[in-house]
Parts: sequence; structure tokens; C-alpha cells
Amino acid sequence: MNQTKTIQGPHLRTERTTRNVMLHVSISLIPALLGAVYFFGIRALYLTGLSVAVCVLTEYLWQKLTKKQVTAGDFSAVVTGMLLAFNMPVTVPTWIMIVTAVFSILFVKQMFGGIGNNFVNPALMGRLLTMVVWPGTVMQYVVPRTLSTDAVSSATVLGAVKTGGEAGYSYLQMFLGETPGALGETSKLLLLVGFAYMCYMGIVNAEAALSYIATVLVLTFVFGPAGLFTGDILLNLFGGGLIIGACYMLTDYAFVTRRGRILYAVTAGVITAAIRIFSIYPEGICFGILTANCLAGALSLFQKKHVYGTKKA
Amino acid sequence: MQIKQRPVFPGGIHPTDGSDKELSMEAAVQPYWPETVTILSEQSFGGKCRILVNPGDSVKEGQLIGEPDAFMAAPLHASVTGTVLEVKEVANQGRNILACVIRREEKHAEPDAAYCHEPVNIHNISREEILKGLRDGGLTGMGGAGFPTHKKYETDKPIDALLINGAECEPFLTCDYRLMLENGHALINGVRLLLKGSGAQKAYICLEDNKPRAAEHLRNILKQAGESGVLDADEHVEVKVLPTKYPQGGERQLIQAALSREVPMGGLPADVGVIVSNVGTARAAADVILGQMPLIRRIVTVTGSVKHPGNYLVPIGTSVRELVQLAGGVTVEKNRVIAGGPMTGPCVASDWKGEKELFYVTKNTSGILVLPDSAYEEQPCIRCGGCENVCPAGLVPYQIDFAFLEEDYDLCEKLFASECIACGCCSYICPAKRELTVRTRMARDMVKQRMRERAVKKA
Repeated sequence: MNQTKTIQGPHLRTERTTRNVMLHVSISLIPALLGAVYFFGIRALYLTGLSVAVCVLTEYLWQKLTKKQVTAGDFSAVVTGMLLAFNMPVTVPTWIMIVTAVFSILFVKQMFGGIGNNFVNPALMGRLLTMVVWPGTVMQYVVPRTLSTDAVSSATVLGAVKTGGEAGYSYLQMFLGETPGALGETSKLLLLVGFAYMCYMGIVNAEAALSYIATVLVLTFVFGPAGLFTGDILLNLFGGGLIIGACYMLTDYAFVTRRGRILYAVTAGVITAAIRIFSIYPEGICFGILTANCLAGALSLFQKKHVYGTKKA
Repeated sequence: MQIKQRPVFPGGIHPTDGSDKELSMEAAVQPYWPETVTILSEQSFGGKCRILVNPGDSVKEGQLIGEPDAFMAAPLHASVTGTVLEVKEVANQGRNILACVIRREEKHAEPDAAYCHEPVNIHNISREEILKGLRDGGLTGMGGAGFPTHKKYETDKPIDALLINGAECEPFLTCDYRLMLENGHALINGVRLLLKGSGAQKAYICLEDNKPRAAEHLRNILKQAGESGVLDADEHVEVKVLPTKYPQGGERQLIQAALSREVPMGGLPADVGVIVSNVGTARAAADVILGQMPLIRRIVTVTGSVKHPGNYLVPIGTSVRELVQLAGGVTVEKNRVIAGGPMTGPCVASDWKGEKELFYVTKNTSGILVLPDSAYEEQPCIRCGGCENVCPAGLVPYQIDFAFLEEDYDLCEKLFASECIACGCCSYICPAKRELTVRTRMARDMVKQRMRERAVKKA
């Protein structure tokens, strides 16, 4: 790597780099990946590996072709690749996985200027693309192989309830991940293990994630399907992708003040809850967070910042 | 009931675990008298003096050899007794500065004065005498930019608090710590003089909680002074211990942490009734007023990748090359030599082997630090907000950085680039290793220049 020598101070720098932040995020996703392999078979690993490889390669080729600084080795594409695969059912065809990965990195990330400049989360945008373009193919969730040796097609827990059915799984099964769903989002336990690791390493701040979850749970409880205060809190918490969304998708990086972070998370939460309650979509995570992503600039105007020496507002 | 708030300023960083300070923390101050000294006519940036002596002249220690020629200047004195060899331009940190080279011909006799060992009575010294002493003694700030001390104290604004800065928040440096431990009496006497000179009601000696021994020592001296009865009734001096955090020793941050006041934009500490002086300056005040010796010596920490890190009491004008040799020389071949602390000090040489002259000790040289060389590649900003989080001035460095790179100076101004204190926290914390401090400082200078130009146009 060509390193430019910096003579100007400060002469002490933290050891943390973009690369090791992203590396830690990737490491924190490994428990969930192992869970995916356990619940959905070895194809989960294949899809994740494929997605990561395509993401990194796309980023590398684009940066080479446009003669930009090559940052493909900074693990950020690895994180996007993993999250993207985690949002797919195990039955997704290889070609859709590849197209989505290329789309996420090329159109959502690189064309907006690369890392740091993409205004929405590339992995979520990729998921949105597949939901809109190939709804039949990517909504083919299957029952975990621990429950059935045949890949039986099934709706997700939230989906089943939305269409008036029974959840069909206990809260414990939902928590552990023994439910139909996308690869990485089913096991809440393993996702939380990864999230705890990130918190421990000081990479994320749990405030946004918690306020997001709290907002969704309160709203879905209050405006429940059978009238006020009839929502199922545990179902909403463990049934869908709320935890992966809160912990990994809701990047709160644009907000420094607590006020800003919480405002952002609550906005995402309100939209997510509204979609869960009023729309035909059972999840709403994707729309909620993407909308909040787009509103980030406007929301940041509400941050109260004080510059030293200026009059207090 | 009043809630007692922990004294803090927002932002800031903990750049090290403290092991860097341990290198030289226990190294007692050693006096060193070089054969020749090279006294720069410009002791701090913009503080030009007119040299009054010619080659061949004999000079005595403490004799006036330079008169202020600029606002930022303070009188200059010979730091050794001997003969002026030459008055010539020397290269110093990339600029040529006129300097007076003096060969030492007499040994220095350390005076054994009472003020160095016990609290003394300063009742009969008037404020005017103190101010005159500060001016004629050539006192300047000894921790930061080297602002002439008397200019701070001659303010017509009402001053109610005097802060004596012993925070020494820069990693590696220990000169102020050793001074507090070893010259406690002279320091306290100096603080009392400065308190009287400032007209404030109370003086606070501020230090960080990583120096408990110094705090204890100074408290004992104050107690002893209180019991001895030489203190006047209106002499209130207190030791204030603040939680360790960089940049605690930044003048503005110290005022905020110790007194919960903020210096207004474009203002001076005096605008909020405060004067801040370094512990070294306080000690120098005692030397000049009680010991009739102007500011000709200071303690310098030589540390980092040198064989024997230590603290040296040296005359102004001592060659840094000699000082590093005295400390056993550099131990890392790929190195960089820094004048001052690692956060704000400029790099004066890299891959230095010990043969080339670097610079000469000035009144505000607090340390010489040798660090192994390091290199980083700047990467794209990932909007982590780390820089915004740590900025003690409350700025958003990454936004200023982008505005500056786009040459949008209007935006820089709107983002308050002018308020950057160049502490280095943003560059320290940045995971993408962006040179935020360098560019924000450049943006600040640009914005300030534009503000001045506008003011001129208006007038």
C-alpha cells in the first residue's frame, strides 16, 4: 500500500482505522452466519460467500476502472455483502444474488461517491430492489432444516400473522431462529451476540438501536390488530427483522448528539410501525430505515450544537 | 441545594494510557550549562526583538540584550555570562531568524534565595512593581504560544480569577510536573505575586488527576504558608484537580473546565474576568521579582525514543542537538523530532541521526520529543462523526474539511472554522486518517484573514 508520509501533527493517532472498524463488524456477523448454516444448510454459506465476493470484486473493478483510490480492501464491501445475503431466503437463485450485489455496490454505493457518501444503506437498497423486481422469487421462505428435511415453503411468522394466520412458532423458537425467514435475520440471539461484541469494541452506540426498537414495539402494541393496546410485543420483537435492522442497518453515524440520534431512530421506528400496522407488508424495516436515511439531512438540522464562545441558544 | 458539577469541558480525547509520561516523570530536573547559547531574536512567532549587543561585547547573565520590536515581543536577556561571538541569522524550523551567539565564560552560581524554600512576605511589593517586573523580566507564556505575560496582566478589564495552568495535558511532557514537585515554593510565591498583579480575588492552580503527588505537594506548601502567617488575608490560592483529558491545558478549555465560563468568540480570557498563566511563568515571576533574575532558563523535557528520557534546566538558547545527545541520543533510526508535545508540536526533522542542528530552546519550548516515524494513507471519510464528538470547540471538522477542499470559504465561516483551536483531537480520532487538523487550521486562517479584510474594507 502506498502510504503518504504525514509530517504535520498531531503525531499521535488512534489505532482504529476504517478497515478495522469494518473488520470488527464483519466478525460480529459471524455468529449469525453460523446460525444461518445451521438452520438453512450449507447453501447459506455459499450465498454469503458469493455475495461478499461479488461486492468486493465490483468495488475493486469500479475503483480500478475509474482510477479512484482503491478502498475495496477496507472490509466495508464485505459487511455490505454479508448483510445483503442475510436478507435473502436460502432459496434465492444465484443470479439474483449476483445482480443484487452488483446493484448495491455499484449503483447505491460507488455511484454516489463510495464509502461514506452513499446516502442510504446499500444492503437495504439491494433488498428493496429484489422485493420490488422479483417478489415471487425472494419471498420464498423455507422452514429451517432442523424442523423439516424437505425445503418446505412457508410464510415468515410476521407474514403469516399479517394474513390472518397463526404464528405457528413459539417465542423461544423465534428468539433462537428456528423459524422461516431470511438467512441471517432469524436468530435474534446470535445477532444480539454480534451486536454486544460491537458495543464492547466501542464501534456502535446502542442508543439508536434501542430507541428504534422501543418506538416500533410501543406503536405496534398501542395500535394492535384488534384495537388499542392489543399488539403482540414479543411477536413484533422476535418475529421479523427488527433486530437485524436495529443493530446493523440503522447506521446512526451521521448523528453525534444524543438528541439527533434518537430523533433519527424514532423517525425510522414510526415509519416501520406504520407500515407494519397499515400496509400489506409485514415487516416495514426496510422502508422505515431507508426513509430515515433519506431524511437524515433534514433531521440533522434539529441537532442542538453549541460552538465554544458563541451565545447559547 | 446546589448540585456540584464535575469540572469538565465537552469533547476531548485520552490519547495515551500514561506510559508515555512515565518515561520522564521520575527523572529529576538536571541543570545543564552549554558552552555556547544561540538566543533567537524571535522567541515566539511574531515576537521580534532588536538585538542591542555586538560581537565581542561581554555580557552578564540576565543583562538586557534585546528590546521588543513587535507587539508579541518581550525583552530578551543574556542567559549566560560570557562574550558575544556573533549576531547572525540561523535556520530555525524552516525560517531564518537573527540570533545572538554567546560563549559562556563563567560558571553559573546558583543563588540560595529564601523564596525558593519557604513562603515569603510579599506585602510590601506593589502591583505596579509586579507588573514592571513581569515586563522587564521578559516573561512570556511558557506553555503555549509565548504571549508576553505583562500584556495579559496590564488589562483594564476587571479580573476576578487567575488560573495557573499545570494541566500539562500533552502526552510525554513532564517539565511542568517536575517543576511543581521540585520548585513548589518558588511556584507558590510566584502564584501569589501573579495573583496580586492580576488583581483577581482568587488563584486556582489547575492540574489533572494523573499528577496526585504534585497536587498533594502544592497543597502542603499552601497549608504551610497559611500557618506561617506571611499570607495576606486576601490571598486565596487553591489547588484544583481536574479529570485527565486532552486538551485540558488549552487556555479556553481550562477556563471552561475550572470556572464553567466561555471566552466569547474573538475575545480574550480577560473578557470573562480570567487570566491564565503557565506554572513555569509563575515560577519565573518569582525569579524576576523576588530573585532579580529575568527569564533566562527553563525546564525542557527530552523524551520519547531517546536513551535516557529526562528533564533539563537549561539556559534559553541551548542547542536541541546537544540536549538530545545529553539524553543519550536517539534510539530509533526512522524517527521524527518534534518541538513540544506530540499533539500540537511541529515536526522539526525526520530520520534525524544527531549531527544536524535542529533548533534552539526558546522561552516556550516545553519539550523535545523523538517518535518513531509513522505514515498513514488518507482514506475517504466514513461519516462516523468521531471528529465532531471529540472537538472541544464544538465544531464539525469533517464538514469544514470538505468545505475547505471545495474552496468554499463562506461555508467554512458558517461552520465556525475560525474557532478551531488546532488541538489535533479530530485527526487523532479519525479512523480514515484524514488530515483534519491540518486543513481545519488552514480553513481557520483563511476565514480569519477574510474577516480581517472585511473589517478593513468597512473602516
